[in-house]
Amino acid sequence: MVTPEQVQSYIEKGLQCSAVRVVGDGEHFEALVVSEAFRGKSRVQRHQLVYAALGERMREEIHALSMRTLTPEEAANG
Amino acid sequence: MDAQERIRQQVTGNPVVLYMKGTPQFPQCGFSASAVQILKACGVERVFTVNVLEEPEIRQGIKEYANWPTIPQLYVNGEFVGGSDIMREMYQSGELQKLLTGEKTPS
Repeated sequence: MVTPEQVQSYIEKGLQCSAVRVVGDGEHFEALVVSEAFRGKSRVQRHQLVYAALGERMREEIHALSMRTLTPEEAANG
Repeated sequence: MDAQERIRQQVTGNPVVLYMKGTPQFPQCGFSASAVQILKACGVERVFTVNVLEEPEIRQGIKEYANWPTIPQLYVNGEFVGGSDIMREMYQSGELQKLLTGEKTPS
């Protein structure tokens, strides 16, 4: 079973983030990801960056991941 | 016809297409249920839905089509819009309603 902490570390390893918070029950996870890399990117492109960081794990270990993707400015304002 | 070509025909041949687990009447995943609810709330009457649980080739192929590993997936006028998180965010900001009614979003 995958823990939220593992999902968090997978994301942090694959993507330069200023903050990542993950909660979940081993199958379903919710992530808040704050990264400079999202600047100027659409929502789809942002989610694709996180999916790319998770790679094959997204297919095999993680059943469902709900996420919010923000730039540092958006996180500060929202 | 291979899965990629079938998907291309589905998304370009129908204005609103939702790939989901289950059917609108009986969604078999919470995220798919949420996607159906959001489309209803937007007042969309005609949605072409594909139950990927009954179409293993589409289920795999759709992940490659948009380089998106999860289901549901929404397409409007042939363009990939997003999964359930993005649909919810766009619904809450009013963007999805505009997109679905063909209104131009101010850029």
